[in-house]
Amino acid sequence: MDAAADESQTNHSNPTPPTIGTFDAFVDPHLRVLLRVAGSLCRNSHDAEDLVQDTLIRAFNGLSTFDGAHPRAWLLTIMRNANINRHRRQRPGLLHDAGDLAGEADRRNPPAPSAEDVATAHTPAPWVADVLGHLSPRHLQVVELVDIAGLTYHEAAAALGIPAGTVMSRLHRARHRMRVHLAHHPDFRSEHR
Amino acid sequence: MTPRDALDMFRRKGGARCIEIGRQIQTYLDGGLDAATAAKVSSHLDACRRCGLTADDYRRLKLALAETSAPMPAEPLQRLQALATDLASGDTSPP
Repeated sequence: MDAAADESQTNHSNPTPPTIGTFDAFVDPHLRVLLRVAGSLCRNSHDAEDLVQDTLIRAFNGLSTFDGAHPRAWLLTIMRNANINRHRRQRPGLLHDAGDLAGEADRRNPPAPSAEDVATAHTPAPWVADVLGHLSPRHLQVVELVDIAGLTYHEAAAALGIPAGTVMSRLHRARHRMRVHLAHHPDFRSEHR
Repeated sequence: MTPRDALDMFRRKGGARCIEIGRQIQTYLDGGLDAATAAKVSSHLDACRRCGLTADDYRRLKLALAETSAPMPAEPLQRLQALATDLASGDTSPP
C-alpha cells in the first residue's frame, strides 16, 4: 500500500457523509484495519475487540458531525481517543498527580507489541523477527502500523495522536536502523546479493 | 589528499547527488514524492549502482514486513460487523 498517500483506498474525492442506515456499509471496509491497529494499541486480542466496539459506538453517535472526508483517519482518531479514555477509566484519580502525568503520556504512546508477537504468527522471512526485536517501542509501533498494517502516514498519525511528519521521520529512522542491522545478516544479504 | 580535496572529489563523482537522493529514497518508495522529483530519483537509481542497491534493500524490507501481517481471525470481524449492522438497523441502543 502507498504509505505516503494522503488517504486510504476508500473514495474520498467527493465525500458523502454516511447515514444511520448505511453505517454498517460505511465501516465495513475499515474493520480489519481498525482491529489490527487496536491490537497494536492494546497488546491483546480481547481488549482490541472491545476497543473497536467502543470505537464503532462512538462513531455511530458522532455521525452527525462527520463530513464524510477521510473516513479511516476519522475512525482512527476516534479509536485513539477511546483508548485514552479507557485508560483513564481504569486508573481514576491518578491523572492529576504530577508523577502520573508521565505515566499517562506513556499510555498515550503504549509500548508496541513485542517483535515476537508481531512476527511469529506469520513469518515469511527468518530475519524479520530478529530485526524487529532491535527497534525501540516507538519505532516498532510505526513500522507495525505503516509497513505491516498498511496505514498511510496520516492514518498512523491519527491513530497515535502525533504529526504525520513525526510518523514519517520515525519510520525512516526505523527502516534505516533495520537496514544497518541487516547489513551483515546472512539470510538478508544472500537472497539478493 | 586533504579532507577538502576528498570532499571535492566526492562531489565531482556525484556523491552530493547520492546524498540528496539518499534522503528521498524511502519517500520515493512510499509514493510520497511529486511526479517530477520521483522521475529524477528513479533515473538516478537506474544509473547509480550504490543508490540502486540501497533502494533494493528498502524494497525488500518493506515487502518482507508487509508479508509479516498475520491473518485476521474471522470471529472478531463477524462480531464487529454484527454490531455495526445492529447499530445501523436500530437494534442496539448505543449507551
